[in-house]
Amino acid sequence: MKNLKLAGRGDHERTVIEVGDLRIGADLVVIAGPCSVESEEQTMIIARAVAKAGAKMLRGGAFKPRTSPYSFQGLGLKGLKILAKARAETGLPVITEVLDTRDVGWVTEYADVLQIGARNMQNFALLKEIGKVEKPVMLKRGMFSTYAEWLSCAEYIMDAGNPNVILCERGIRTFETYTRNTLDLSVIPSMKTLSHLPVFVDPTHGAGRVELIPPMALAAIAAGADGLIVEVHHDPSTAQSDKDQAMLPEQFERMMTMIERLAETLKEPVFNGRLDFVPWNLRKESTE
Amino acid sequence: MDLKKVRKQIDQIDFEILKLLNRRMEMALTSSKFKDEVADPAREKEVLASVEGFAHGLVRPEFGRELFQRVIGESRRLQKEGLALVGFQGEHGANGEMAAMMFLPNGAYIPCPEFSDVFDGVAAGYLDYGLVPVENSLGGVVSRVNELMVDSPFHVVGEVMLPVHHCLLALKDTDYRDIKVVRSHPQALAQCRGFLKRHKLEARPFYDTAGAARMLFQNRPEGNAVIAGELCARLYHLEIIKENIEDHTDNVTRFQVIAREPCREAGDKCSIVFSTEHRAGALFDVMKAFADHELNLTRVESVPLGGTPGNYVFFLDFEGSDQDEVVQQALDEVRPNTTMFRFLGCYNSVAAAAASGDGADK
Repeated sequence: MKNLKLAGRGDHERTVIEVGDLRIGADLVVIAGPCSVESEEQTMIIARAVAKAGAKMLRGGAFKPRTSPYSFQGLGLKGLKILAKARAETGLPVITEVLDTRDVGWVTEYADVLQIGARNMQNFALLKEIGKVEKPVMLKRGMFSTYAEWLSCAEYIMDAGNPNVILCERGIRTFETYTRNTLDLSVIPSMKTLSHLPVFVDPTHGAGRVELIPPMALAAIAAGADGLIVEVHHDPSTAQSDKDQAMLPEQFERMMTMIERLAETLKEPVFNGRLDFVPWNLRKESTE
Repeated sequence: MDLKKVRKQIDQIDFEILKLLNRRMEMALTSSKFKDEVADPAREKEVLASVEGFAHGLVRPEFGRELFQRVIGESRRLQKEGLALVGFQGEHGANGEMAAMMFLPNGAYIPCPEFSDVFDGVAAGYLDYGLVPVENSLGGVVSRVNELMVDSPFHVVGEVMLPVHHCLLALKDTDYRDIKVVRSHPQALAQCRGFLKRHKLEARPFYDTAGAARMLFQNRPEGNAVIAGELCARLYHLEIIKENIEDHTDNVTRFQVIAREPCREAGDKCSIVFSTEHRAGALFDVMKAFADHELNLTRVESVPLGGTPGNYVFFLDFEGSDQDEVVQQALDEVRPNTTMFRFLGCYNSVAAAAASGDGADK
């Protein structure tokens, strides 16, 4: 792959991004929260629940990229203020999506991590604007994008001055219609070879069916993902967006227990000799 | 013109009426300081007669009379409450008003155009207290206030440490993306320079933070926002776009409270002002007295006096009570070493509870 002098593996150290006490790229980080910030009450309920279950960061959309212009577009600035309030109460840092170059500065005032959604992965004007910001960016993989295209977008952000990029796989479009997207888990070890950036997985959008989330989440961690980003809603039937794929807080809590157990297990090599894969970030000592 | 615009104008007019009504109540309270009895039937008659005279157009004289009978009734009720009148410089919503609220949670807060009006009001007796800023942790000494302090014959009866938090405020129907120009007092603009730069906003000076907020609400210029305190958002129906936009989080203005009579309660802090002879060691002799009696100085300020180059007065604050014997001894040693000496007062300090923020800067 060419022209990836900043995002490509090269001789770079693995990128570790500090957000408060979190070390993204070094510790396993689970991000959870509602798809959209709908109200202060809804966001607070979910923020408290995910914090209790062990999530380390709160997600929540204030600006929503919707297929239809008539769908709920997000609360905007009001949503950002609600997220800031939820952070003040739970102590969880906040990640939220930015859609519009005009909003980059304003979202930066409130969020700890900015997110570029799959639909905007190749919005180069937005990437350049985000590159000027001093906050980390999670770059989601476009649903039709190759690894090279994805990394080139990371390169755009880094070239503009922001080295703190987190890659996030969220599923790609295939001919299959049973799942919303096809979650490409092979991207995780591939990105560990092709790049030095942290790799997250979004099993919620990747699968689009709530029952598929725990197995896909566990598989992602087993494959070496640095973290997950998951949608949780206390009352999915009333959710303004993504109601079919949000986990209930109790489901999320159970999944977190499984994740903890898996992470514990993966710390020891289980396959003697021939296949001694240990997710790099769970190794006791970095052998790289 | 459509219904929406007409209604907006009506809202605007209501705001004006209520603002003027509030001003009228403030004046009614002020008038009560000049008379012994609350009820003054002769004056009330006079007021109602002139209201009937002023009534014109669609406002019938009878309607004017009825309305003002209610207004006078409310004024009378307020006068009976015996609220203390606390003056501050600036318009409603100014930092001085926030400091006044901290000093006396249940008072009537009277805006004064100039610092000298606060001093005059206290001297003349229609203000019970005056709040004046003496220094700011970022901006330094407020020289005009200190000059007025030297000459005025009153007492310092309290101090308020006001944490200054700037908010970006805009009209409720303004899209924050359209904001291009931000108006405020030059000092507030300077304290938010980083924020303004980040968002590529043009800073335009205005004489006062609260005044800028009022102007925004009344004139509704497009693409404009103001930097002012949270109180202004409430008073002028503005939306807080962003709280705590100051570049340095520790920004405190120190206000002193002035009154005609000294503080009755025992204080823990004292203020003096003095000048010394022009000779080597004159100021040192004064300072030495405080050192010898182990009194901690919390503020030392020199202020140039009356335009004569090289002549200064010194403001000095220290910890201790005027009831303490050591304080009396120290002051007895200080006096002979000064050419002018005034004990401004002994008082307690009011500090704000931890300011609430959105936690963004933890």
